[in-house]
Amino acid sequence: MYLPDFDYYVPASVAEACQLLAENIDCAKVISGGTDLLPKMKHGLLSPQILVSIKKIPGLRKIEYVQGKGVVIGAASTINDIVFSEVVQQKYPSVSNAAHTMAANQVRHSGTVGGNLVSAVPSADMPPILMALNATATIEGPNGQRQLPVEDVFCGPSKCLLEKSEIITEIIIPDQAMTGSTYFKFALRRAGALAVVGVAAAVQVENDVIKDARVALGAVAPVPMRAKKTEEFLIGKKISDELLEEAGKIAASECKPITDFRASEEYRRDLVRIYTKRALRKAIDHGHI
Amino acid sequence: MEGIRYPKENTLYKKKEYTQIGQSKPRIDGVSKATGAGKYCGDLKFPNMLYGKMLTSPHAHAKILSIDTSEAEKIPGVIKVITHKDVPDLKYGISPARWDENVLCIDKVRFVGDKVAAVACVDEETCYKALKAIKVEYEVLPAVLDYRTAMNEDMPQIHEEYPRNINTEIHQLFGDVDKALEEAYHVRTDVFEGQRTYQCPIEPHSAISIWKDNKLTVYSSTQSVHYFQYYIAREFGLKMGDVRVIRPLVGGGFGGKLEPTGLEFNGAVLSRLTGRPVKMFYDRAEMFAHNRGRHQGHYEITTGVSKEGKILAAKANFVLDGGAYTSLGIATAYYAGGLLPLTYDFENYQFDLVRMYTNLPACGAQRGHGAPQPKYAFESHLDNVAEDLGIDPIEIRKRNARQANTNTCNGMGIQSCYLSEALDKIEEITDWKAKKEKGLPKGRGIGMATGSFVTGAGYPIYRNDYPSSSCMVRVNEDGTSATLYANAIDIGQGSDTVLCQMTAEAMGYRYENMKIVTGDTETAPLDFGAYSSRQTAYCGWACKRAGEEIKAKILETAGFMMHLPPEDLECEEGIIFSKSRPKVEPITFEEAAKKYFIIKGPLVGTGVYTVPRLGGYHKGAPVATSPSYSFCTQAAEVQVDEETGEIEVLHAWDVHDAGQIINPALMKGQVHGAFGMGFSETVMEEVVFNKDGKIINPDVGGYRIITALDMPNFTNDLIPSNDEPATPWGLKEIGEGSNNPTMGAVRNAIYDATGVNIATLPLSYEKVWRAIKEKKEKEQAAK
Repeated sequence: MYLPDFDYYVPASVAEACQLLAENIDCAKVISGGTDLLPKMKHGLLSPQILVSIKKIPGLRKIEYVQGKGVVIGAASTINDIVFSEVVQQKYPSVSNAAHTMAANQVRHSGTVGGNLVSAVPSADMPPILMALNATATIEGPNGQRQLPVEDVFCGPSKCLLEKSEIITEIIIPDQAMTGSTYFKFALRRAGALAVVGVAAAVQVENDVIKDARVALGAVAPVPMRAKKTEEFLIGKKISDELLEEAGKIAASECKPITDFRASEEYRRDLVRIYTKRALRKAIDHGHI
Repeated sequence: MEGIRYPKENTLYKKKEYTQIGQSKPRIDGVSKATGAGKYCGDLKFPNMLYGKMLTSPHAHAKILSIDTSEAEKIPGVIKVITHKDVPDLKYGISPARWDENVLCIDKVRFVGDKVAAVACVDEETCYKALKAIKVEYEVLPAVLDYRTAMNEDMPQIHEEYPRNINTEIHQLFGDVDKALEEAYHVRTDVFEGQRTYQCPIEPHSAISIWKDNKLTVYSSTQSVHYFQYYIAREFGLKMGDVRVIRPLVGGGFGGKLEPTGLEFNGAVLSRLTGRPVKMFYDRAEMFAHNRGRHQGHYEITTGVSKEGKILAAKANFVLDGGAYTSLGIATAYYAGGLLPLTYDFENYQFDLVRMYTNLPACGAQRGHGAPQPKYAFESHLDNVAEDLGIDPIEIRKRNARQANTNTCNGMGIQSCYLSEALDKIEEITDWKAKKEKGLPKGRGIGMATGSFVTGAGYPIYRNDYPSSSCMVRVNEDGTSATLYANAIDIGQGSDTVLCQMTAEAMGYRYENMKIVTGDTETAPLDFGAYSSRQTAYCGWACKRAGEEIKAKILETAGFMMHLPPEDLECEEGIIFSKSRPKVEPITFEEAAKKYFIIKGPLVGTGVYTVPRLGGYHKGAPVATSPSYSFCTQAAEVQVDEETGEIEVLHAWDVHDAGQIINPALMKGQVHGAFGMGFSETVMEEVVFNKDGKIINPDVGGYRIITALDMPNFTNDLIPSNDEPATPWGLKEIGEGSNNPTMGAVRNAIYDATGVNIATLPLSYEKVWRAIKEKKEKEQAAK
């Protein structure tokens, strides 16, 4: 457990950061909160010679509501920034609550939302709720800016679709037709634990009928995944306990969990069933919570 | 001073409670620890100091064919590389009959993490480079990874001297078990299985060795400076007087820092060869690999009971997974069965055990030593028996409860004991009867268990005829402070604080004026250290005696100053006054102490305590003996999510018979910590290995210990007493007995909530989920 030597750059702008990354394409890494990167470096799993910090870039750590755009969360906002953000708490308490389930206070103070996405850990807590709310990521690189839905950021465990010279600069939660959303995390203790199963649900309810639904699952596939069959099944149906139970079963069948020392595949599937049902019920009954 | 009548107006004399003990005095090390000013071994640096690391085995079982250190030696900054050729080949361990561990492995490695080579370098980074450059050629051997089959004839042999991998075998029989079982109204056998847990103290092990001019000084994160001094001197053929062991602050031990490790032995060699101080330390993963945590075991318990639930005979048949070496495991093995007859009174008892060698890290002493898992098995079993008979769990325990002034069938003598009262009280404060009669909401359950533990092991950690504890008190020349010199080791449990309280009480002085020097073999006199919950009682005796000596000396001087016979004087909170003459002006401790120094020189008191001979004469009789035992009951109310299996402890209760409490706040801290640890071991903790014997969760994320958020609301209660004659002020231990009932109480609550029996620890959410699911499926099939 020894942090090897590296050079440390603190660029003042996104452009400068991207340039640094492009110039050192094979030996540089972006560091934001470092909660994922530094342990990996200590364990020798990663050995970048250059770390490019985006912590000091102005504007990357802000959370605001922009008319016509939605809630804009700067990528270098810490998880606790989201937990305590008045904007987020007012518009989507579900996002603030999801952030609060993550790790422990010390990690939430350091870790950032951009990092939580690009680390592409299957059990990460932010992606499911952001996916359920159809959030997008703004990505900047030497060739300019592009938008990517959060669910398309990941392509495998610890792998995301960003170029090595690109960084996420912001996450946008668009204005919602959804009437409720929530994130349920099942972990093996109440703090400092990875999700064994994470379920986020967002629903649009009108007259006891589900007009639209998005269900996103964490920790049960190589990447955070949408439960699309479950969503299709729900849309247009009248709400009942039986319906939600059935939705849970569909989600359990379409997820792709593995067995590891935290939980078996079988257990994870059943937890998906239970938590999908519970998450839907909560989103239906209690709004964005 | 019986018979003397005291005038009422004498405000200094009243029938006082104690002034220094029985109070929640602030910890003597509290501020320095809370502000970060206090230094732990890992914080220390010395001029010219080198950093050392060990190369350990990647294989569970392998022959070492060759070790080539030449490439490593070429790396700039690498000062020394050592292998078994450079270190003594004298084996070490807890008992001469089981010395089985080498400083560095010679011909083979026996677990993933076994010590192969060590390096000393100018910095830590170079150490890792050096370790990578050492080439070791292994011939991998088949490994023994399952203790339950380790004895089979076709299994590879781990140590040549121990056929069929049997490390220790115990067979004890008291009374006539077979006859009693035959005559019993009901006989039941249950089998339980424990898991490996690890102490995981917050501070990693660390040692700095300085070998200079034929003298070896070792700073170490240790629970016993004396034991380290003894073993390090023995290993290197040094005189004990030439080995100085110093303990900086220690951030938790729980049994895992009681014996010296490769850090001290290899650090000493590296320091001798380089002539420079060498700091060696484990990181978290290396701590797990070194291990010495709790043994996992297979526990078969049989009891025969009368119709009324009186236990007539008990049979304990255990198999323990000892890992690759003995470590402290012989004591663990004897404790496993030795403590079972404490809380319940039965005449006929059979205890059989084998401790197996496996190619896994060695197991040792962890809080409660061998007792918690067997106690969990027995308490779970007893609830099953009560259910068979239709008797309430508390009622069956009342009918068997240990009484004061009795002997156990295996030769333990109990004097003060308030277990029956503790059972009554737990019934009352948990509202047990109402909950049992009215029933609890769905998924809710309540369970309880009893516990007990030695107030100090009756025999020393290694064979010797030294006293158990000793200390020295020196009063400052002007009397404004007094320093206690003791080698009792504060590993976080608070012994420095309570020992100063007790010394001040005995001196008639004030805790606030006490200073303490502990954990230095060259400064303070012998104490065997912090294990078996012995410090408060054993070193407490020494402190009491030293304090009383000071008081006697000071009253003699005060008598001379006040023109009164010393017998008429008393000293409390630093004020010396006449017991019979209220109008005589009192003087202060400071004045008298200063006068003493002027006339006679240093004002010093010494104290010593030796445990009297205890226990029976059978093989293994010494283990589990103690001058005194604590008793307690614990209960837990849990809520189980019947769909997911998630367990929440809503509230927990502890009723303790711990005699005179020295510091109530520290007592509560011990009980809360013990319950938390026990709950954590019941539901979460497990060291998990892959199929090659390598730990897959050697970190605090993967090895789950409960967090503050998982801790339930807690009620501490006491059966107050001070009639234990074998301890100073009638105190009893609190550190380990408080962990003794927890696993049983939590398990019984989960069973009450769900009706499912889970055979193996930990009772994880997934196991509870599976058991509930299977139960439902069975019920549906029956319909």
